[in-house]
Amino acid sequence: MTELGLTPFLVLAAFLFACGVFCLATKRNAVGILMGVELILNAANVNLVAASRFVPELRLEGQVFALMVVVLAAAEAAVALAIFLNFYNNHGSADVEAAKELKG
Amino acid sequence: MFDLSAHPGRLFLFATLMPLVPAIVLAVGGLVRHLTRGCGGWQGTLHNLLGGDRSLPLAGYFTVLFMMAAAGLTIWGAVRFFSDDGTHPERWAEQVGWIDIGNVRLGSEPAGPSSALYLGYRIDRLTVLMTCMVTGIGSMIFLFALGYMKDETGIVHGRRGRFGRFYLYLSLFAFSMLNLLIADNLFQVFVSWELVGVCSFFLIGFYTEKKSAGVAANKAFIVNRVGDAGFLVGLAVAFTTFGTLNIAELNEQFAHGVPHGISHGLWVLLGLGLFCGAAGKSAQVPLQTWLPDAMEGPTPVSALIHAATMVAAGVYLVGRCFPMFAPEVLLAIAYVGLITLFLSATVALVATDIKRVLAFSTCSQLGYMMLAIGVGGWSAGLFHLLTHAFFKALLFLGAGSVIHGLHHEQDLRRMGGLRKVMPVTAYSMLIGVLAISGAPLLSGWYSKDAILADALGFSLANPGHFLLFFGPLLTAGLTAFYMFRLWLLAFGGTSREPDAHPHESPAVMTLPLVVLAACSVAVAWGWPVWDAESSALGQSLAAVAPHGHVTNGELAHKLAHSNHLAAGLLALLAAVAGGGYAWVRYGQRPPTSDQLREPTGVFANRWYFDALYDSLFVRRTVQLAEFTATTDRTSPEQPTKRSVTLDGLLTGVAKLVAAGGAELRKLQSGRVRGYVLAMGLTVLILLGMLFAVLR
Repeated sequence: MTELGLTPFLVLAAFLFACGVFCLATKRNAVGILMGVELILNAANVNLVAASRFVPELRLEGQVFALMVVVLAAAEAAVALAIFLNFYNNHGSADVEAAKELKG
Repeated sequence: MFDLSAHPGRLFLFATLMPLVPAIVLAVGGLVRHLTRGCGGWQGTLHNLLGGDRSLPLAGYFTVLFMMAAAGLTIWGAVRFFSDDGTHPERWAEQVGWIDIGNVRLGSEPAGPSSALYLGYRIDRLTVLMTCMVTGIGSMIFLFALGYMKDETGIVHGRRGRFGRFYLYLSLFAFSMLNLLIADNLFQVFVSWELVGVCSFFLIGFYTEKKSAGVAANKAFIVNRVGDAGFLVGLAVAFTTFGTLNIAELNEQFAHGVPHGISHGLWVLLGLGLFCGAAGKSAQVPLQTWLPDAMEGPTPVSALIHAATMVAAGVYLVGRCFPMFAPEVLLAIAYVGLITLFLSATVALVATDIKRVLAFSTCSQLGYMMLAIGVGGWSAGLFHLLTHAFFKALLFLGAGSVIHGLHHEQDLRRMGGLRKVMPVTAYSMLIGVLAISGAPLLSGWYSKDAILADALGFSLANPGHFLLFFGPLLTAGLTAFYMFRLWLLAFGGTSREPDAHPHESPAVMTLPLVVLAACSVAVAWGWPVWDAESSALGQSLAAVAPHGHVTNGELAHKLAHSNHLAAGLLALLAAVAGGGYAWVRYGQRPPTSDQLREPTGVFANRWYFDALYDSLFVRRTVQLAEFTATTDRTSPEQPTKRSVTLDGLLTGVAKLVAAGGAELRKLQSGRVRGYVLAMGLTVLILLGMLFAVLR
């Protein structure tokens, strides 16, 4: 079995990142936006893990940062879901277009 | 402290401190009365004890008592001084250190001994005579004011009377003036000089309900500041050159010609500076405009400050510093005196306000004194200062009595015939008129003759300066004319205002008039009385006359002595002509309506000095002030219109920040997709830049 090398992983990560950004830009549903954020975070994670495997200097750092991002994503999801829950209670919908109270 | 045998000069120190006692008592009493107003309990009792809402006449009695005590002390001191054998002049002077200012490098010399300012007194013959005059006339005027200011004791027009305040200012003034006279150094003179000036400011503006009084007070104070600036220059030159301000030490430096270490230019500057201060105080051209306006104050103040004492301070200073003046400066003093005496006399010819006539006359007489000192007649000038103080105080108090009797009417054109209802005032004032005109055997005759003799001597010794004799001679005639005009218009003929109901003043006001009239007659007498040169007062001054740097001084002095009789006869002739013409115009028949119309022309406009200063300085200053005011003001009607102002500038910066904030705020639209788009674009741009760098 031959080694794939770093490049396919980077391409995958870029694809995932692009999907995440596209999701953020197009979704009006708050939960959908949250999913886009998760995609972006995991694209970064793929990058970190691949770097840990193929770049000798980053063997340890890649894995540590990947774990860090996982923890961060969990916390972010918890806080964001709490905000969205309150948002839904107040506005009766999860549409982010409805949030206009603080508009400049 | 009371060791009078070792230091008899302390008598004068105590006399100086005497008027300070009522000043402090009245100030503290007034403050306590103000603080306890509206209180109950013991504070309320204290308030009522201090007069309550009334102004106690006690304040006046108290002050008069202390002023008379000061007069008594100075007379006692004078007796001791003249019975002293004069072998120990140091017994009459003391000084204590005041401010030590460390080593001062003087010019190019190495640092000298430590320099300090001293407080001290030095009693010489001039000081003795001047303090006697000030305390004597002061007592008489304080007494007169008891009657004149009686209105201010109760509640006047719904406001509290200001009797106590009036006597507070008067006694503070008397203290300052006496301190000025006994001071042994120029710095102490300067301090008293300013105190005298501020008392004058308070008293001119005493009737605070009159706007004109406030304006006149400001004018007097500001014009005097101009002179004081010159005085300070003189002080600076003296201190940096000689390291001392002690008058006796400075005079000693100049006693034997010009001292080393001072260039001729600095010497002239020293003299001009000191004279500038004196010209401000003594109302000499071009700083004379404040004195006539100062007549807005109560009449006793006009008599005390603006005739007898304060304005005399300038002449006194010039007399004190006489040896320090360069020949050019003395000549300038003489010519300034000449211009002042002539211009003021011409204005007095047409003035219709009784106090203004006397004010211009004061200016004119001060000009005589300056001229006398300028031509080297030191003793003549100071002699005239002393005699003039008596008869000018008398004339002003007489005018005060007339104003009091006529219920504050000051216009000569509405008087007439007053000699029948106010005989004491009328005839004591006649003595004053005769004295100032130079009638023989009255005090003014001796001193004016002496001045004219010195002026004649000087113009004979320096023939180019003949005006210095003919100017005063002509003005002697003018003086007689305007003084007789004043008397005839006020007291002669019949009343021109039948509804006036004048009355003679009470004894407390006529007694000072009689005393001052007696002094005006006899104060200069000597034996034989008919000899103009035999005056005891004049000879007493002449014996201590210092040596000055007068051009051809020795010769002028000799010529003055030999031509005394001629000068006297010419002066008498001029006075008789002036007085006679006044009799022809105003005495023989009632004045015509043509003579009583409002005066116009150059004399009535005071030679346009006021108009000139108004357009040159006053209006320019007001314009500058208004301009600077506009830089900090938006007009109340259109607050946004004038954005060029300082206020507009600062508001503009604030507005810019606010507008920028309002624009930037719109970026926070609340649209998540907009944010993401901006984020994505930013990432792309950053990547693009990264690639551009890496390539």
